[in-house]
Amino acid sequence: MLAYDPSTNPLNNNEWSFPLLEIIHIASFAISIGTIFIVDLRLLGIGMRRQSSAQLLKDTAPWTLVALAVVLMSGPMIFSSDPNMYLHNPGFRFKMDVLLVAIVYNYTVHRRVAQSNPTPVLGALVGGVSLALWVSVVFGGLFIAFT
Amino acid sequence: MSLLQLFQWLQQTEFATALRESALVYPTVMATHLTGMALFGGMIFITDLRILGIAMRGTSVSDVVTQFRPWKRFGLVLVATCGIMLAWSKAEYYYHNPFFWAKLTLLMLVGVHAMVFRNSVYNNTAELDRAPVMPTNAKVAACLSLALWIGILSMGRLIGYYEVTI
Repeated sequence: MLAYDPSTNPLNNNEWSFPLLEIIHIASFAISIGTIFIVDLRLLGIGMRRQSSAQLLKDTAPWTLVALAVVLMSGPMIFSSDPNMYLHNPGFRFKMDVLLVAIVYNYTVHRRVAQSNPTPVLGALVGGVSLALWVSVVFGGLFIAFT
Repeated sequence: MSLLQLFQWLQQTEFATALRESALVYPTVMATHLTGMALFGGMIFITDLRILGIAMRGTSVSDVVTQFRPWKRFGLVLVATCGIMLAWSKAEYYYHNPFFWAKLTLLMLVGVHAMVFRNSVYNNTAELDRAPVMPTNAKVAACLSLALWIGILSMGRLIGYYEVTI
């Protein structure tokens, strides 16, 4: 931050670049979180019951990963438009904390349990936590504009 | 009463004013709109890519479409309810916003898309699974659906960038 002047950032010098980046960020988070939700619904036992959670995970994981990669590229670019504002924003800080937990959880507990075709109780617990984490990430992101 | 007067009246209702001025409820409705998009939009995206033979190839088109259906409906109700609340609360502003009308136009085209392709594609998935190659009209339906929803998402985001002074 020392010698960084956001006014030199192309994002702040082109009318369309910032909204376009946001659209990419939103579309890719919808895909990554949407595909995680598909596995969560199965773990909760309330959707996609003709497939096993292991099968659904295998089917959706590449799309989750690709979309998450786009999210994690567009996000820092958005951040770069005004780092000081984001760093002091409670919504942003909350979002980053939950996001870190959500990503680690997704690629450890969530993946392992989904692959093991768990008992209904364990599945519901793991799917429920996943759902809560990702919903919190979205809420944190939106509240950046309001906190 | 003209359309503008209707939108002005909508924005001035007690409900709209309370919603617009609430520091907690307004962003919560917006965040729910976005969360619903992950459920609804994510499933639309995967359905279309499945029809195109790109995603979820381990699951039949029938299993994808029929098992997503109740959740897509739930997601649509969630997204639409929140969307209507957001538009209602700022109806007069939205009336002057071209991106709002562009979004509504695209949403009407989604209705046309559904009428055109429902019988031959989305209610005909067993046939699609039996076909040796995916029929062209199903692929066209999937591509149009992707284009329409990306357009709707884009117009929705751009609504927030158009400044209206009343």
